[in-house]
Amino acid sequence: MTDTATTPRPSRHGDEPLLSVRDLSVTFRRQGEEPFTAVDGVSFDVRPGQTVGLVGESGCGKSVTSLAIMGLLPPRGNTVEGTASFEGTDLLRLPADEMRDRRGRDIAMIFQDPLSSLNPVVSVGLQVTEVLERHRGMSRKAAQPVARELLDRVGIPDPDRRLKDYPHQLSGGMRQRALIAMALACAPRLLIADEPTTALDVTIQAQILSLLKELVEDTGTALVMITHDLGVVAGLCDEVNVLYGGRIVERGTRHELFANPRHPYTNGLLASIPRLDGARGAPLTPIRGSVADNLPWDHACAFAPRCSQPVDVCTAQTPPLEESGVRALRCHNPVR
Amino acid sequence: MTTTTDQAQASPPNDEGDLLLDARGVKVHFPIKRGVVFDKTIGHVYAVDGVDLQVRRGETYGLVGESGCGKSTLGKAIIGLEPPTEGTVSIDGTDVASLKGSELRRRRKDFQMVFQDPMSSLDPRQSVESLLVEGMRAHGLASDGKKTTARLRELLTAVGLPAAALKKYPHEFSGGQRQRIGIARALAVEPKLIVADEPVSALDVSVQAQVINLLEELQGEYDLTYLVIAHDLAVVRHISDRIGVMYLGGLVEEAAADDLYAQPLHPYTRALLSAVPVPDPEAEDRREQILLAGDLPSPSKPPAGCRFHTRCPWRQETRCDDERPQLRVVEIDGVASGHRVACHWAEQIESGEIQPQVVAPTATVGDLLAGEADGSDEG
Ligand SMILES: Nc1ncnc2c1ncn2[C@@H]1O[C@H](COP(=O)(O)OP(=O)(O)OP(=O)(O)O)[C@@H](O)[C@H]1O
Ligand SMILES: Nc1ncnc2c1ncn2[C@@H]1O[C@H](COP(=O)(O)OP(=O)(O)O)[C@@H](O)[C@H]1O
Ligand code: SF4
Ligand code: SF4
Ligand SMILES: [Mg+2]
Ligand SMILES: [Mg+2]
Repeated sequence: MTDTATTPRPSRHGDEPLLSVRDLSVTFRRQGEEPFTAVDGVSFDVRPGQTVGLVGESGCGKSVTSLAIMGLLPPRGNTVEGTASFEGTDLLRLPADEMRDRRGRDIAMIFQDPLSSLNPVVSVGLQVTEVLERHRGMSRKAAQPVARELLDRVGIPDPDRRLKDYPHQLSGGMRQRALIAMALACAPRLLIADEPTTALDVTIQAQILSLLKELVEDTGTALVMITHDLGVVAGLCDEVNVLYGGRIVERGTRHELFANPRHPYTNGLLASIPRLDGARGAPLTPIRGSVADNLPWDHACAFAPRCSQPVDVCTAQTPPLEESGVRALRCHNPVR
Repeated sequence: MTTTTDQAQASPPNDEGDLLLDARGVKVHFPIKRGVVFDKTIGHVYAVDGVDLQVRRGETYGLVGESGCGKSTLGKAIIGLEPPTEGTVSIDGTDVASLKGSELRRRRKDFQMVFQDPMSSLDPRQSVESLLVEGMRAHGLASDGKKTTARLRELLTAVGLPAAALKKYPHEFSGGQRQRIGIARALAVEPKLIVADEPVSALDVSVQAQVINLLEELQGEYDLTYLVIAHDLAVVRHISDRIGVMYLGGLVEEAAADDLYAQPLHPYTRALLSAVPVPDPEAEDRREQILLAGDLPSPSKPPAGCRFHTRCPWRQETRCDDERPQLRVVEIDGVASGHRVACHWAEQIESGEIQPQVVAPTATVGDLLAGEADGSDEG
């Protein structure tokens, strides 16, 4: 990767955003409960051949963001606001059948939970083969060896035999890999991957991440990478968005963000994880409390009760997201 | 858990007096049954297949390895939750298997387990107080009401929970707080050894560090010995004095934490460490990965010889396929005697005499999808 410190890697596949998300908000309403805004005004762009990361801890709204863009939220009980324009078409306003069509063709998603997205009564090999026929225009004869090769490349051992297996005959990890093979097979223009390797072992994760990298570089797929793992982000993403309590609190190129984290949350996260490289022995510096302590964003910074350096205004005013180029920051009293 | 204590230097613990845990030749084989009327055993899962493990008093031993390699099963065998098919486990000089009746109950308190998922390991219908007192009562530690109350308060303070937590139920806490309750429950009976199975992997990154620091503080305060099982190699490195790497039911390498990460000698450890992404883009760009082909073989059909030979990039024509390597001290300059490896060719691999076979894919994803994989592009 040859990105510079301050500008996003100029994509060799084009500079116009393929997907442009603006002010996306998702509010859940349950009877007898206060409405709950899980995603609160999120905006980001993804260009062809670019990988954009959404990182944050559990419950910060990563999956809800991706499900909203894909039109896969439960049909009732929630309100989605904002736009997600895919080459000028607002996906959030697309009729269900048109969205379904897009999902197969231009846009694919890899879910955290793979069971829901494989067809239980069709063998894994046939599912991948059919995707190749449908989306790559291959004949069955041409598609079969490619399907076999893809299963091999995602680390499914003995792929000749596995081609004939049904999803329930695979372990959870293998199902996840079969799903990734299917996503690769359609060579989508936009791929949203929600914690695609979280349930996998590191040696398998390494195989999958290098495949995703290849896909982006070779075919110009735009990749939205959702993860809680800062290591994965550091190696894969051109641009990183840090989410907290449903809002983007910091954004930067991966080099900028890791070298110079300015939001106390980003900074705190980096200080709290043990490192494989570097010195050992010093105690970690945790972030205090948990997300249960969050304040509502209305008149405060949600992170204030956990912040290492809050100032008075933090509990009186919502910090706005201040943007300059790729860099963005939501904080009254940033680090340094 | 510090790098400066004597215990951080790994030499094979030969001074028996200093060992808290001594497991020898431990095997745990689960029968695979089939059949409606007769339970016919048609095979075995060789979950743990011959492990020697010694842990010294006051040290933290980290056990790492990928899913299904037998870490949890070994941990359960050690504290007597899973009877070993073969081998012995002795804690503080007593053979765990020989313990019976009241003696077993009395000694049970010496070794406690902390589980991965704090929610499913805590009974949701019991208040924190009743969860903590339960264990104490079972071991006769809760006879005096006043003392018990004081002890409960001390436990909560130790794990960083407010006194008000006693009257609450597990669902009223966050994941990190629940893990603190799990730790308090283990501590309540004054154990000597705590086996912590993935104690932080269900927690958010920002909360993990709190629990890791807590475990470290408590170790000093209560003279605890830890066996920490985890798949996160950075967490294990941080917390452990010595580390054992497991692959398919066996230990393949064992060394002091610093030595293992500075100079991994087993091909599997090399691959494992090279695969861990680090939160530093500069390091990520430099990282040279050893990509392994394929997947972990099934523990019900472990490969003959070296169990890693089906995926090993350094595999040799001789020995690897038919001779199981023992965990042994290697003769390499500068490598401590406590650094042991189960590989026939560790010396030659380290010197560079044996080079890895690169498992380079023949076609890129782009080529494949363009239909160039088999030269018959019809798309
Ligand atoms: N009670 C049991 N009956 C049959 N097989 C079992 C049993 N318990 C574990 N196994 C098998 O033994 C092997 C080792 O399992 P174990 O739970 O020890 O792995 P682990 O290393 O802890 O993995 P993870 O990282 O996923 O927790 C696995 O193949 C598992 O399916
Ligand atoms: N269908 C739903 N109904 C109500 N609340 C939901 C629903 N889906 C998600 N949430 C809530 O929205 C928040 C964000 O969830 P999610 O996006 O899944 O988090 P993550 O960042 O871990 O992927 C969480 O508090 C979650 O409980
Ligand atoms: S706005 Fe204030 S409380 Fe929020 S992160 Fe910045 S300094 Fe901390
Ligand atoms: S014994 Fe052979 S197969 Fe096993 S790790 Fe060593 S070189 Fe690889
Ligand atoms: Mg999620
Ligand atoms: Mg386990």
